[in-house]
Amino acid sequence: MTPLATAARYARLTWHLSAVSVHRLTEYRMDFLLGAGGLLLRVICQIAVIDMVFRQVPRIAGWHYHEVLFLLGFSLLPRGLDRMFTDQLWILARKLVQNGEFFRYLIRPVHPLFSLLSERFLYPDGVGELLTGAALTWYAAEHLDLSLSAAQWLLAPLLVLCGTLILAALKTLFASLAFWTTSSFPALYAANQLGDFSGYPLDLYHPSLRWLLTWLLPYAFTAYVPASYLLHGHTAMLPWLFVVTAGLVMLALVVWHRGVDRYEMTGS
Amino acid sequence: MKRYTPFAAAGLQGLLQYRSTFLISAVTATTAVGVQVFLWRAVYAGRDSGLLGGYDLPTLTTYVLLAQILGLVQANRVDEEVSGEVQRGDIAVSLLRPVSYPAARFAAGLPVSLANATLVAVPVLALYAFLLPLTAPTWTGVLLFACSAALSLVIGFGVNLLVGLAGFVTTNIWGVRVVKDSVVAFFAGQVVPLALMPGPLAAVAHALPFQGMIDGPLRLLLGRYDGLLGAAGILAAQLGWALALTALAAVAWRAAVRRVEVLGG
Repeated sequence: MTPLATAARYARLTWHLSAVSVHRLTEYRMDFLLGAGGLLLRVICQIAVIDMVFRQVPRIAGWHYHEVLFLLGFSLLPRGLDRMFTDQLWILARKLVQNGEFFRYLIRPVHPLFSLLSERFLYPDGVGELLTGAALTWYAAEHLDLSLSAAQWLLAPLLVLCGTLILAALKTLFASLAFWTTSSFPALYAANQLGDFSGYPLDLYHPSLRWLLTWLLPYAFTAYVPASYLLHGHTAMLPWLFVVTAGLVMLALVVWHRGVDRYEMTGS
Repeated sequence: MKRYTPFAAAGLQGLLQYRSTFLISAVTATTAVGVQVFLWRAVYAGRDSGLLGGYDLPTLTTYVLLAQILGLVQANRVDEEVSGEVQRGDIAVSLLRPVSYPAARFAAGLPVSLANATLVAVPVLALYAFLLPLTAPTWTGVLLFACSAALSLVIGFGVNLLVGLAGFVTTNIWGVRVVKDSVVAFFAGQVVPLALMPGPLAAVAHALPFQGMIDGPLRLLLGRYDGLLGAAGILAAQLGWALALTALAAVAWRAAVRRVEVLGG
């Protein structure tokens, strides 16, 4: 099959399986409301803290109130998208290798990673996060009288996509460790938790922490770098964003494949 | 009393099975403290006056750090365990035992709190004490804090038990817990001290039981009260809420047991 035909096939499958997940959402409406509502409340608490901060000072580390809100909102976009499509990786990290159930994903006629992820698309929490993020970003942009150039308009969706890929690659990377250690849940959880730093301007943090969040666990590229570009026109880090995205995705896929090759059935 | 020691032992054993949860708790607390501390440091840097809601920077840093640690100690997993038992139907077995179920749960949750306090809280505390300037409390403060922290454990247990019993009403207890975690933490003052909240929000927070979980004990520790009467007031409010929540949990438990229907098998 040509690469184009393969891509088309996976796109069609994704569309189809997403539709199945939408059915599930309408079936369990309370689940959806609780999942989406829970994340909305978390964001409201975060905004309340930011409000309290800006009652005391007009700006922190050079950022104004609505700029911080814009950054927070933007950080939720890739997070929400990633959560919508890749949360099955949590289950891999937690127990799929441990209880030997992972083999199910190897015997289907699609890429094992896709096979795993596609078991459940459109996690309700992710949908809630994405909508909250979009509303917050929009609200902040309105108040900032933000006027984006044509290039910024064109790049903005690409930046969200790259952020999503970075998050998904990090998740794949840490979840794949389970192939060696049988459970990598603590590692994945710890890595994911550090992502909480990315909802605020990185200028706040100690340089060593900033370095860690830029080059080791590159959460900086999921919110801070794109938001600095869209708000202040900072372009110095933009080329790195694409390099880091490509590099990290490749690394994650290599580790994933190595891991899958190592995987042995439980034999029962 | 003696009847409940096996539950405490079982709680501890269950916890030690999953040692990785200590790592998870430690990373979560460290990250949360980091975000808040850096945020407030930037606020102090941007102001002329060195006081925020009466707190100077080292005291606020101490508050933020200890708030996370208290939150950690109160995370006794009772909500998770109770709702899990309800969902799986195991609650039927618990009902057969000749002990009070809420008391048995409290006994099982206590060692979880203690283990978190020693294995997670101490390293996190040591890390930040090494990195940042903190305020050392007075002996009076420590003494008052000890009483207050004990009461806060009872309040935290009551809240968690009530959330766990919600498992009788809804199956999505995970969603209820996410909501509870953020709302309780916020109004308890785990994120920001009540003194820094704007007037109406602070009024709401003071009227809720949750302030007795974090803000109350830490105000006593850091000496942020008006004389002996003020300290007694904080403790009295805590005691009142602890009793009220215990009573409420007992009533809810009775109502829940009457509702319970377990599939035979």
